[in-house]
Amino acid sequence: MPRVSERVSDGDLIQRVGTGDRSAFEALYRRFARPVLGLALRRLGDRGRAEDALQETFTSVWRSASTYKPERGPGAPWLYAVARNAIVDRGRSRAEAPADPPEEEAIEPGPPEQAEAAWISWRVHRALEELPEHERTVLELAYWSGLSQSEVATFLDIPLGTVKTRTRSALARLAGILEEELQ
Amino acid sequence: MTSRPPDLRELVGDDVPPDELARLGRVHDLLVQAGPPPELPAELAEPPQATGSVSVLPRRRWRTIAALAAALALAAFGIGWLAAAARDSGGESLPKVEFRVPMQGTGAAPHAVASIAVLELDDAGNWPMAMTVRGLPSLPAGERYQLWLTEDGKLIASCGTFHAEGETVVYLNAPFRLRGKGWAVTREGSKQLLMRTSTI
Repeated sequence: MPRVSERVSDGDLIQRVGTGDRSAFEALYRRFARPVLGLALRRLGDRGRAEDALQETFTSVWRSASTYKPERGPGAPWLYAVARNAIVDRGRSRAEAPADPPEEEAIEPGPPEQAEAAWISWRVHRALEELPEHERTVLELAYWSGLSQSEVATFLDIPLGTVKTRTRSALARLAGILEEELQ
Repeated sequence: MTSRPPDLRELVGDDVPPDELARLGRVHDLLVQAGPPPELPAELAEPPQATGSVSVLPRRRWRTIAALAAALALAAFGIGWLAAAARDSGGESLPKVEFRVPMQGTGAAPHAVASIAVLELDDAGNWPMAMTVRGLPSLPAGERYQLWLTEDGKLIASCGTFHAEGETVVYLNAPFRLRGKGWAVTREGSKQLLMRTSTI
């Protein structure tokens, strides 16, 4: 199966999904599955329901990608809105019907600070998925495993200098990705 | 395991120009604020089937399918691993052991001990494993033990089921990220832990 280049924009992928392109759908899933699950966990606080919301989000994406209008904005916010609607639906009911896609962005429930925090997590987690695996691994170990740099080096069996180089490279790459999205 | 935010200078070293350090610092703050992304469970590693009309599988079915797939993968891996071992009878080309994790019996199986040898990551991104276990009580015919991946003490994904008689070597597979996780053994269909590892 042809792999979709990571350089393809989210919006392009969504448009291709709208034409029934399965490989684009898989690429989109690879980029957004963890951010969607993270958003759902943050909102629902329950792993099982969050996993349901993840499935429903991508079912809705497959079904409604053809309605995506690139001139109305980039792909990530559109997918964020689809995910948020699926999560809200899952929070209201345990019905199995997939969520419908939004016509426009839904109004964010809850305090603005929570919405901002959720959006930041979404952006950061989405950006992490764009890093090369060796850089993402180092970053995740450095920030969320509790390991020191020396312990990360030992764990990965690479020199300490390589850990620092990869960390710096990963942060710089993330800065580039996030600055583009912030424009 | 603690998750104290790391020090940026410690992460990137002291030779970073001020402008770049400020830029990296903004990303650093965002990472700390965002917190860790969740790991996907094995059954959600792939997107929902999307050919023509799409339907969401109830999670129980996902888990059933995942368990079946895991069993098939286990069988295939065991056969493949053994075939490779037989082909390389000198042992020179056997997969390298990345690390070993000891496993102790709980109060429910105090005499059980095991060692999980985690082999080098394969091309598909799986962690092949060989678990040597002994001291588990014999089970009635038709019953099996089950190895689980655990996170924060909870069973999160099955790595396969196995029989154990005396000292037994079981070949399994973990298509997951292993950081922050551990393993546990139960009787299939039971949640009572018989053996467990510490978190890796």
